[in-house]
Amino acid sequence: MGLLTILIFLPLLATLLILALPISVRNSYKYIALAFTLLQFALSAYMYSNFDDSLGGIHNYEGYQYVEQLPWIRLDLGTIGILEIDYFVGIDGVSLPLLVLSTLVMLMGIGASWNIQKSTKGYYALLMLLNMAVMGIFAALDFFLFYVFYEVMLLPLYFLIGIWGGDRREYAAIKFFIYTLLGSVLMLLVIVGLYFSVINPTTGAHSFNMLLMMDPANYIDGSFFGFISNYHELFGVPSRWIGFAVLFFAFAIKVPIVPLHTWLPDAHVEAPTPVSIILAGILLKIGGYGIIRVCYGIFPDIAANSNYWLALIGVISILYGAFNALAQKDLKRMIAYSSVSHMGFVLLGIASLTAEGLSGAMFQMISHGFLSAALFFLVGVLYDRVHDRYIYHFRGLASIMPKYTAYVALAFFASLGLPGFSAFIGEAFVIIGAFNAESMATGVPRWMAIGGSIGILLSAAYFLWTLQRMFFGKIRVKGGQAWQEALTDLSRREQLILFPALALALILGIMPSLVFSKINASVLQLIDLIQPYL
Amino acid sequence: MNVPITAILDQILASLPLFKPEFCLTAGFICAIATALFAEQRLKNVTFTVTALSLGATIYCLFLQVPISATTGFSGMWLVDKLGTYARILISTATLLIAFFIQQRHTRQQNGDIYSMLLAATLGMHVLCSTSSWLLAFIGIEMVSIASYLLVGYFSQNKAQSEAAMKYALFGSVCAAVMLYGLSLMYGLTGNLDFKSAQHLQGLMTASEPLVTLSILFVCVGIGFKLSFVPLHLWSPDVYQGSPTAITAFLSTVPKVGAIILFTRVYQAWSSTSFYFSELATWIIVVVALASMLIGNLAALRQKDVKRLMAYSSIAHTGFLMMAIFAYQDTFRYLFFYLVAYVLMNLATFIFIDHLEQRTGSTTLRSYMGLGRKLPLLFSAFTIVAVSLIGLPPTIGFIGKLMVFSAVFDSYQDGQDTSVLLLLVVGALTAVISLFFYFRIPLYAFIRKEDDFKHLQSSSAGLLLSVGYGLVFLVLLLGLFPQLLLDLLL
Repeated sequence: MGLLTILIFLPLLATLLILALPISVRNSYKYIALAFTLLQFALSAYMYSNFDDSLGGIHNYEGYQYVEQLPWIRLDLGTIGILEIDYFVGIDGVSLPLLVLSTLVMLMGIGASWNIQKSTKGYYALLMLLNMAVMGIFAALDFFLFYVFYEVMLLPLYFLIGIWGGDRREYAAIKFFIYTLLGSVLMLLVIVGLYFSVINPTTGAHSFNMLLMMDPANYIDGSFFGFISNYHELFGVPSRWIGFAVLFFAFAIKVPIVPLHTWLPDAHVEAPTPVSIILAGILLKIGGYGIIRVCYGIFPDIAANSNYWLALIGVISILYGAFNALAQKDLKRMIAYSSVSHMGFVLLGIASLTAEGLSGAMFQMISHGFLSAALFFLVGVLYDRVHDRYIYHFRGLASIMPKYTAYVALAFFASLGLPGFSAFIGEAFVIIGAFNAESMATGVPRWMAIGGSIGILLSAAYFLWTLQRMFFGKIRVKGGQAWQEALTDLSRREQLILFPALALALILGIMPSLVFSKINASVLQLIDLIQPYL
Repeated sequence: MNVPITAILDQILASLPLFKPEFCLTAGFICAIATALFAEQRLKNVTFTVTALSLGATIYCLFLQVPISATTGFSGMWLVDKLGTYARILISTATLLIAFFIQQRHTRQQNGDIYSMLLAATLGMHVLCSTSSWLLAFIGIEMVSIASYLLVGYFSQNKAQSEAAMKYALFGSVCAAVMLYGLSLMYGLTGNLDFKSAQHLQGLMTASEPLVTLSILFVCVGIGFKLSFVPLHLWSPDVYQGSPTAITAFLSTVPKVGAIILFTRVYQAWSSTSFYFSELATWIIVVVALASMLIGNLAALRQKDVKRLMAYSSIAHTGFLMMAIFAYQDTFRYLFFYLVAYVLMNLATFIFIDHLEQRTGSTTLRSYMGLGRKLPLLFSAFTIVAVSLIGLPPTIGFIGKLMVFSAVFDSYQDGQDTSVLLLLVVGALTAVISLFFYFRIPLYAFIRKEDDFKHLQSSSAGLLLSVGYGLVFLVLLLGLFPQLLLDLLL
């Protein structure tokens, strides 16, 4: 059993342990969850330090590290051929930073759950199950395996929002589930189609192996998703376009892009703080990861021709999300919309198809991962104390909670793209990439880069305006004296969770090479994969 | 036509070994009647024991038949092949579980007779699985139907249950009559009742189109009643709701297996030509599959009673099975796999429904409100089954769906037929619709708050519940390692 397998299935062990322990020791559940997640974090840190930067991965089997490939399911289906499914995991520069990020955000999530009282057994068991699914998604290289983890992720999340959420949790939970499932059932059809179009050259069987799907030589001539001599059309649209569009649709719901984002504010507002942290910190990244790994990796020809539209969607998301954030009166909703806006940069960067843009998009995912986690945690701090997050119900918090204000200000400045913080690097690289795209003739016009810059400007507006409205001025809170007493400053536990995230934002802002060195080879490899079709 | 009587006798004698499993059932049936009449009062559970033994012997004999790849006996009336044998093993095993279900659940009454009816129904299903003759098929359908009418009415204690039995019997007899009329037309057109024979197919090729249409539609009415596909599904919600849960579990699973196997054979025989009747058969199956998936899933959205909900769910699954039949090529493995998945999921569901009915005295979704905290294990298992019914990984329902999608996609790639694509898309999208109603079970149990304190009855049937958990374990195990089952089917 390799390191990666241990990393994926450690949380499952924790789930079983938590379920097996009697309810009388319920205080130990959080410690079990914490211990296992710490172990995972250590493991992922070890992988990070032992990672060979020169290997690219993407469509190259040799470029993957910590690879494990075991035959899992082999079904002889007669004329349909042999169903070949492997337990195939491995990481490259695209997945490694996301794995490290996931373990870190999971740690933050568990720290944020410390005060949860309601049926802790189920809560931590589900949280650990979600943890397993997330690790699996980032590590899986077999499409079937990927899909299994992808769907397994939905169930714990549904219950985490549904049981531990706010007043409208029922609606938010099912809305989230329906949106994602809608994308994924259609994705299943494309997976089946790809499976029939690809032949494993060594065994001669059809395969779910994603790396085989990335090599045009493995496609059967004339098959439904075949590369060459493919005349299949659906309602006049070539079949490879359909496949790309369906996969993009599935992942775009996760990102989320405008107009498929409407589940996000509801899910965030209703979810308990730890789940919001995980949702924003990890799950949105699955969308971006899926687009890079699956859509671009398997359909490079379409990626090269569709990137104008993708970039346009990215710009629309940036601007629409930012304008919406500006209009929100609920702090959590505002941050949810700021997520939509920031994830728009990821899409714009990916679509620019330049090395700068792609690196920036990857960097932005990492940076947004822990910054949004920190932001949602900060909202949770406020909500825990007075059960209110309405922006206009607070004023002059700086004098009541000075430490909290300092952290919020830091997190806001980091998120709005102040130089010196990680978000600046991510967004700047995306904009540089989008700007250079025209000279590289990838099909993304310059004005889209300007659209992105306006997004940064708007994000400064909504963050600073919120800061001014809530924290400065005379003390005036809705609940009066009772609230003023309830609004105690940050506790040591809360600082312990926030400090690493904000420190990381600063460290990565100053030394972006910590991430760039790991992803560079993979980004170049991906561009090499797509370049011939431009 | 002057075959000497000795030759006929020889042939019958030679065919007898093929009939061994059914002999076990018949013997069990007769013994069960006798013990129910004479011994049940003194020796409790003796009829159940006889039933279980005869089913066990049947399963044993069936396993001996597994190596037979395709043989006919009794002048071609009796057909033994792998698909039929596996289906009969599934049927007998499921019936054994249901006999146990009834024994656990209905302990007080003198109910020896129910087991003999159960065995009679099983025998009927065996006939359906192993024939290509319309005559035997009709006898099989009638055996299953008549036994089922009795089963539904047997425990009836109130008006709703009697109404269900009545509705079932009336609807069933009309359908049977229509089917018989269709068969007589077909015999008139072809002069042969074996739907696989060349003469039969030739007759259908040359007959006039309106007559062929009429006879095929009429025959489909009879099969459709047993399968409860749209538009012949109207009886099933009432009957499912009105019957005792153990009987509902039986009705929703076992008879469908038999009818599916028969339908598969018919469709396979008919769809292979390029004549009008083949086209018609294909159209019927595509339309029925689409309609059943859509109507089953959409109607289930509005249900408030779990048993009714499961009735619509089973209609939807029938639609999906139609899709599997449509794509059936030379291997039956995915079709059979889906059948096993369907039977496992439904049996587990009804065991849970029954247990909850015992505890709360109700089968409405509302009665599950807030029970998730009191019965966490039960509802966790129930949720896993719901996940499998939707068709999400890592459960057997997902693997079943994936294999059917694969087969259908393969036939789409060959033919590029838009209707096939429609099947695929509808099959995928109805999974999203089904999420709404299957997830109302965990929704009520875990998420909705209980508004008043409910007193739960104590329950005795712990053994049955553990069988239910065992089935859920299988649902997960075969979802992760489907090979365990598929390697058995060679």
